[in-house]
Amino acid sequence: MNIHSKVLADGVTVLKLVGKLNMVSAPQFHEVISTAVATGETRFAIDLADVDFIDSSGLGALINGLKSARQAGGDLRIAAPTEQVRLVLQLTNIDRVLKAYENAETSYNE
Amino acid sequence: MRMPKLPTMNEVGKFSLAMASPPDNIDLVHRLLDNIWVQVPTISMIDRISFETALIELVANVIRHADGGEGVTYTITIKIHEDTIEAEIVDTGIHARVELHENSMPDDLSENGRGIPLIKTLVDHISYDRANNLNTWLIRRKFRS
Repeated sequence: MNIHSKVLADGVTVLKLVGKLNMVSAPQFHEVISTAVATGETRFAIDLADVDFIDSSGLGALINGLKSARQAGGDLRIAAPTEQVRLVLQLTNIDRVLKAYENAETSYNE
Repeated sequence: MRMPKLPTMNEVGKFSLAMASPPDNIDLVHRLLDNIWVQVPTISMIDRISFETALIELVANVIRHADGGEGVTYTITIKIHEDTIEAEIVDTGIHARVELHENSMPDDLSENGRGIPLIKTLVDHISYDRANNLNTWLIRRKFRS
């Protein structure tokens, strides 16, 4: 999986993930979030438009990131899930704690 | 002239993959399935993503829990019939202590414990057997469309 990071003018860190968020790539995502939180970034928007697959390890990494961000006084939001990701979020009830926004860059404007 | 032997009426295809982890990982299983979806294009998107999600969870479970310290070798066999798709995983790992009866998801903010309950929402059958020092897992999904 590739992770592209950019910081918006309002301080939100947008992480665009490309590939599969699974037990192979989840540690990589975890590392990116941990490093960003350690350097003071607290508001994350995760663009999932190019993630064609997520498993329970990937869900765990998203929940871990959400908790890290909130503990630092911020938040983590997800946007643009594909069909498989939307199905898994729904079946695991994660959609109750991670609402899917349409667009990562505007997810903090709603 | 002798006629070639026809496949059984209800078996559309059978695919096998032998793996050893480490170094093999679940990306290899994704590649196997990508190949199968090309060869059997009649399977609907919802059946594909449901079965792929269940199988990846199950293989991840084998990699994570069957390894007693010396790695684990296993064979994945996928059979496609007219109305079902199934996967059998036979591994050489340690005796699995897995709660197959677990249906409920963990707390919303838990970071693990969703694998088996997720599989059970996606397939119609899941079973586990231990015999001759081998673990055998089976999942089966009826096609919805």
